[in-house]
Amino acid sequence: MEGFIATGLIGISLGSQYTLLALGFTLIFGILGVVNFAHGGFYVMGGYVAYYCSAVLGLPYVVALLIALAATFVLGWLFEVLILERVIDDHQATLMVTMGFYLVLATGILVIFGAESPEFSFPISGVWRVGDVYFPYANMVVLGACLAAIVFVFWLVYRTNVGRSLRAMAEDRTVASALGMPTKILFPFAFALATGLAGLTGALVTPILALAPHVGDPVLAFSFLTVILGGLGSVTGATIAAFIVGLIEAYAAVYLGGSKGALTLFVLVLVILVIRPQGLMGKEVRRA
Amino acid sequence: MISGLGRLFCGTLLASAALSASAFACELKIGSPAVLSGPAAQWGMALRGALEFVAKETVEEKRLVVNGETCTVSVVAIDSKYTAEGAASAMNSLAAEGIKVIVGAVGSPEVTGMKPIATRNRMVAMVNSFAKDAIGPQWPNVFHIGPGPSGWAGPIIDKGLELYKFDTVSIVAPNDQGGTDIAGVNAEIFKQKGVTPTEEYYQRGTTNFAPIVTRMLAAKPGAVDLASSPAGDAGIIVKQLRQAGFTGPIFRLGGPGTEEIGRVAGGYNVLQDFLWFEPIAMDDNTKALEEKHIALMGKPRPENADFFRWVYAARMMVKAAQAAQSVDDAQKIADAMRTLPVDDENIGAGHWIGQKFFGINQEMSYPFAIGVIQAGEQQPYVRAEAANEG
Amino acid sequence: MSNATVSRLLERRSPFFSGYEWVTLALVLATFAVPFLTVNPQIMSQTNLILIAATAALGVYIMLRMDLMSFAVPSFMAIGGYTVAILSIRLGITDVFVLAAAAFIVPALLAIPLGWLILRLKGVYFVLVTFVLTEIVQLLLFEAAPLTGGANGLVGMPAVKIFGFELWDNSHVLLTTAGLAFTGFLITAIFTRRYRYEFAAIEKNDVLAESLGLACWKYKALAFAVAAGVSGLAGFALVNMLMTAHPTSFAPMSSVNYITYTIVGGKASILGTLVGAILLVSATDYFALSGELSPGLYGLLIIVVTLVAKGGVIGMLTKTVQRLRGRNGGGLTNPKPALAEGKS
Repeated sequence: MEGFIATGLIGISLGSQYTLLALGFTLIFGILGVVNFAHGGFYVMGGYVAYYCSAVLGLPYVVALLIALAATFVLGWLFEVLILERVIDDHQATLMVTMGFYLVLATGILVIFGAESPEFSFPISGVWRVGDVYFPYANMVVLGACLAAIVFVFWLVYRTNVGRSLRAMAEDRTVASALGMPTKILFPFAFALATGLAGLTGALVTPILALAPHVGDPVLAFSFLTVILGGLGSVTGATIAAFIVGLIEAYAAVYLGGSKGALTLFVLVLVILVIRPQGLMGKEVRRA
Repeated sequence: MISGLGRLFCGTLLASAALSASAFACELKIGSPAVLSGPAAQWGMALRGALEFVAKETVEEKRLVVNGETCTVSVVAIDSKYTAEGAASAMNSLAAEGIKVIVGAVGSPEVTGMKPIATRNRMVAMVNSFAKDAIGPQWPNVFHIGPGPSGWAGPIIDKGLELYKFDTVSIVAPNDQGGTDIAGVNAEIFKQKGVTPTEEYYQRGTTNFAPIVTRMLAAKPGAVDLASSPAGDAGIIVKQLRQAGFTGPIFRLGGPGTEEIGRVAGGYNVLQDFLWFEPIAMDDNTKALEEKHIALMGKPRPENADFFRWVYAARMMVKAAQAAQSVDDAQKIADAMRTLPVDDENIGAGHWIGQKFFGINQEMSYPFAIGVIQAGEQQPYVRAEAANEG
Repeated sequence: MSNATVSRLLERRSPFFSGYEWVTLALVLATFAVPFLTVNPQIMSQTNLILIAATAALGVYIMLRMDLMSFAVPSFMAIGGYTVAILSIRLGITDVFVLAAAAFIVPALLAIPLGWLILRLKGVYFVLVTFVLTEIVQLLLFEAAPLTGGANGLVGMPAVKIFGFELWDNSHVLLTTAGLAFTGFLITAIFTRRYRYEFAAIEKNDVLAESLGLACWKYKALAFAVAAGVSGLAGFALVNMLMTAHPTSFAPMSSVNYITYTIVGGKASILGTLVGAILLVSATDYFALSGELSPGLYGLLIIVVTLVAKGGVIGMLTKTVQRLRGRNGGGLTNPKPALAEGKS
């Protein structure tokens, strides 16, 4: 029983990491209609910026987090305006440029920081423990950040004028701009918000796990998995799906083993999609 | 039509023409399919760094003299991407440049892809792979840089049993060739030493190991072996094992990278009790090699300690070329290699093994070291003699 | 039944093969000459890799006829490649025709039930699910160790034979690949041209096409199976080149490469797939010399081509030629302006 609870806690902390990643991914898809292959790149970049600020420059970790958020926000904005905007109407072209940008970003990081993991640890290291049930404090911080991010994104999308404009633009870009919505600012803003979230996630999660130039690769696969399961573009769906994926991953890995666990996860997602081809909350997106 | 196709290739043609033009002087060209991108990049960079160092050393110290002419040494390293076809394609490019002497690649998938090409194009190669068929009689001119766990896991386990008490071990490794081949051999040797092993495999690309760790600990193992898990993964596993409350000793019977594991885990005090295979017994002699690298290349050696083994391999290749009095006859160089004693001025002497495990006596065995961290403090390396097939 | 008449009615309107198909097939055919013109292993290896890449990318090209982007190519390459490896190692079958037939038919048959499952998904869902599929196949290769050799793959394949003659050296391997590639291109050309109007209708608006009596699912499933079969041929060629069926040859992320070849070359015509493969495989090879910078340079190239050449390299060339020749564009460029500009 204790093992079962411990596994559940692991699933929840996995879920909180996936939520943070999937929120940005699904925002970009929902609003811009773009599948952002560079998402993992911004995650890695956030990790390295935070590492550089805190471990090399000696700034407090919280400041490093904010700088990582700002840096990935700015880079996301620039990328949207300078590159993505030129091909925004062609789905396949957006796929190409985001993928190309991921390769450029990952290579840049490898060249600047080298291939090996630097020392970058979370400032809080203790573990809360009752019997066999345990929960590292660092994971609680990530969970907290995740909840804050969810609340923030929901507030922004459903409770503010910016959010209303974003949702209108997601419905129909041409009409929205004809109605005088500042698409020239809102599109880059939405993209930058999502990349900023990815960067913040990287800054929070890489010190708990590991920081290396290639750690963005699996991020993409899991973001994919989460958003298809949740229903593309749905913020609620992505959140629920992230926790489902986290819990399935945890239980399958613990009770079936590493590679069988992964297989179970993928097959289960496939089955869910066959039953509900639009994902768990797919309908909501289109109407939102 | 054909000339049109020809034009498409003209870039490649020009490049190879330019390179073959300089072939008239005595020049040993060492080719290397080295992974320079992706997660395994640091291994490839250690390989390339070692080759460039040995090339410069050979030229500066005039170590290669063929028929009275002092030869130069050049290195062509091509990104092999840690895949079989990446390595095959790199090997074909090297073959096109007329290169006959190969040092590399660093991993099993690459070696799988390069061996047929090396054989087809009559090349001599010194490779590294933990695969069970890394070398063999089918590939008579392929040599192995050093023994796999069959050669060194035994003494390290003995050392662990001497320091700690345990009778079960949980072995964790990625579910691909680099992981399963080595974890399987480790399990076999643990069993021989009276320790009951369980094997756990994870999918490459896993970033959070907490579930795997929980599964491993459910069996309450006395010790853990990280086998050949990449350093980054191994670091997370150690960190999460300790968070989950595991206090036993941790082995890493798979390769170097302890410093990086320590950095990822959050310091040596997280590693706590840790034993690993260090391919080279570090002493004043190897320190001298590090200083020589700084003096010659103007920068410290690549951090990955596989650098030393590749220096060993490249120097052996240069010595074989010298003994064969040829820079491009792969057969002569391979024949000379077989008669050379396994020896390196900095790393020490050993002997050829491999007959028993691979069916061909072309694996270099030389002294290695057992690294030990006890209670978070790094202990002096324990020197172990070169493995022997007795 | 009734939908077959759609094609027949329109058959007169444009020739069965356009200039693109003829040029593409001629180019692929020309590679048979390479082993007789050079012994340079570099050129042979490059030609070999380009042909394999282009044949694999045909799987993407076929599905893009209906605006479905497929990541599933490595899965079917793996099925084709492993089928060949198992037949030759376990059963001693080395006849190149039997193996090629198996490499086409086995993936194509497996694609039918899979297609039934996933072709109901549209647009991005389809894209992402095919991506999940490649991950599943990769894991199955590891898990089904008794059949697939697990992480070690299947090593030591015997050389394939044509009429009892062993095809073993560099030039023979290239000839085998060229034969497989030509077969793949021919099948694709005939298939995509035969059903061009049906595919165009599905691409434009499949709901409308369906309501007008076109059995969309039938064409989608057929295309998925043919795409799988052609990918299987590419898998055979790859496995034959390496003499090994190894899981790393079919890595999930390699699907991205095949998509890139098709789109960068120009998705509107089959020539684009070939040109994309030639350009990008050569670029990869050239960049590999710059070591760790190579993925970044490749990424940069993709961004630049996408921004500069909308519609891919062939799309841009077509437009340029059309502009130069005015409205009357002849020869190569006249056949498919509608599709080439479909997505402007």
